[in-house]
Amino acid sequence: MSPIHLAGRGLACSLGLSVEQALTTLRQGGVHPAKITLPGAMAGDYPFHAIPCTKDDWNERARDLVQRVANEAGAQQIRDGVLLIATSSFDIGAVERGTTQMDYQAFADKVATWLDWVGPVHVVNTACTSSLNALLLAQALMRSGAAEEVLVLGMEIDNRLTLGGFAALQLLSRTGSKPFAVQRDGLVLGEAVAALRLSTRDAVVWDLAGGANVVDGEQPTGASVRAVNEMFMQALADSGATADAIDLIKVQAAGSPGNDAVEAQGLRETFGVVPPLVSLKAAMGHTMGASGAAELALLTACLEQEVWPAYENEADKELGVSLAQAMPQQIRRVMATILGFGGSHASVVLERA
Amino acid sequence: MTTFAIRGRCVASPPPPDWREQLAGMLGAKPRRIGNWAELGLYGALSCLADAGETSLPPDTLLTLGSRRGTYMPTAQVLEQMHDDLPMPLTFLQTQPSQLLALLAAQMRWRGSAQFIAGGTPPALLQLASAQCGAAGVLLGWVDEMDGGSSLWLRLKPCEISAGAPVVAPAESIFLRDATHLYMVGSGAKAG
Repeated sequence: MSPIHLAGRGLACSLGLSVEQALTTLRQGGVHPAKITLPGAMAGDYPFHAIPCTKDDWNERARDLVQRVANEAGAQQIRDGVLLIATSSFDIGAVERGTTQMDYQAFADKVATWLDWVGPVHVVNTACTSSLNALLLAQALMRSGAAEEVLVLGMEIDNRLTLGGFAALQLLSRTGSKPFAVQRDGLVLGEAVAALRLSTRDAVVWDLAGGANVVDGEQPTGASVRAVNEMFMQALADSGATADAIDLIKVQAAGSPGNDAVEAQGLRETFGVVPPLVSLKAAMGHTMGASGAAELALLTACLEQEVWPAYENEADKELGVSLAQAMPQQIRRVMATILGFGGSHASVVLERA
Repeated sequence: MTTFAIRGRCVASPPPPDWREQLAGMLGAKPRRIGNWAELGLYGALSCLADAGETSLPPDTLLTLGSRRGTYMPTAQVLEQMHDDLPMPLTFLQTQPSQLLALLAAQMRWRGSAQFIAGGTPPALLQLASAQCGAAGVLLGWVDEMDGGSSLWLRLKPCEISAGAPVVAPAESIFLRDATHLYMVGSGAKAG
């Protein structure tokens, strides 16, 4: 079985329009989220991590971001490969503006046209875990020999439906993202477009070693401890690693009072001695279906260039876990986790090639 | 060439007039506030499992679901609600296709790998599933609300040998009622 290499990456998020821009912004202390005002019963301002790219037309803006990010990842080299679009909101922002009809296949065709894509195209939607599940699907296609080159494209672009829905469910913070912190009070959402190019041929720094997805219906809008534990164990088994071989875990830690506690309990129960932890939610917001790809694009770049996010909030000692204040040395294996709507729990393991 | 044995199926296109009563019977109560698309999906999946003689799935079974239009009706409702207010929370949840995966997992008391693939075709969905699933196989569904609704499901297990000579059907016909096996050939699927 050929190793699956992370051969290219691209990113547009609130930190910038490329991986390098995002790293530079993070080195300089990051950005403060913008404010978005919502109407009605939960009216008020909510922080939101918007991509710094302004265009009047939703589709033009999305096309610009998708092309930019895909090119950064080297997608032009693999247009006959498999394209996996990972999103929870499709092009609903354009539907809201009346410029597009809601149609999954038309959305997939539109994105493929933007990229001059000639290979198969599929759209994965498992809410927040969409990108990690697209990575797992890519892994399956490559392990089975059905594909040699895959582009995972995470897309979560400005729309009111997601923000309004999360506000209605009272899941949003009005103050800021505070992962694993004592004063955490909800999520801060964000936009991102991110691309991960996977190849069985072009080795660079990181390989996708394995992963797992566990859906549990116990909590349809949140995580369950038993599913978190199963996810960790299955991801370790699939990647051929033991718990003590994981050097760093990029946690979900979106700042949710309940989910952060569930994740922390799962970490303690599975790992015993919990590896160093990192969260990127305060830096870029929770970018929903794009988050797995966006956070991996940024995290791998951070590890290669020794950039580390700063955490300003007091850690919640009752969780029994905390985020690493500095980058650990000699990181060989990294686990990355996203927990989401639909009882979905997904984790992947990357290792240095 | 991958061959799947069809262990169970539900081909409800359109579903029978009493499908809601049948669903309530399978669930033990009338489902509440989950939306028509999710109800259709539950009806088909549970009927398919019953046809396969199963009440739940082995943990390493893949659950894969596809749709042409998915949750477009509740999404249209939410967009309407958002003209001057936030959406109703339960209506917003109905816009998320992955909620059906959670509902199915809860109903079957099952935890495992499940996904929603938006758009495409049933044969393409099967092609992806064949790369992902192991010996326990896959529960594959295709659910839409348009044109009277449809809920198409197959319970498939990989097998070594197919029984009898294949009767090749068009690749679009993976839900063919009298097929016993599916043959994955190249980039498409054929029923036999």
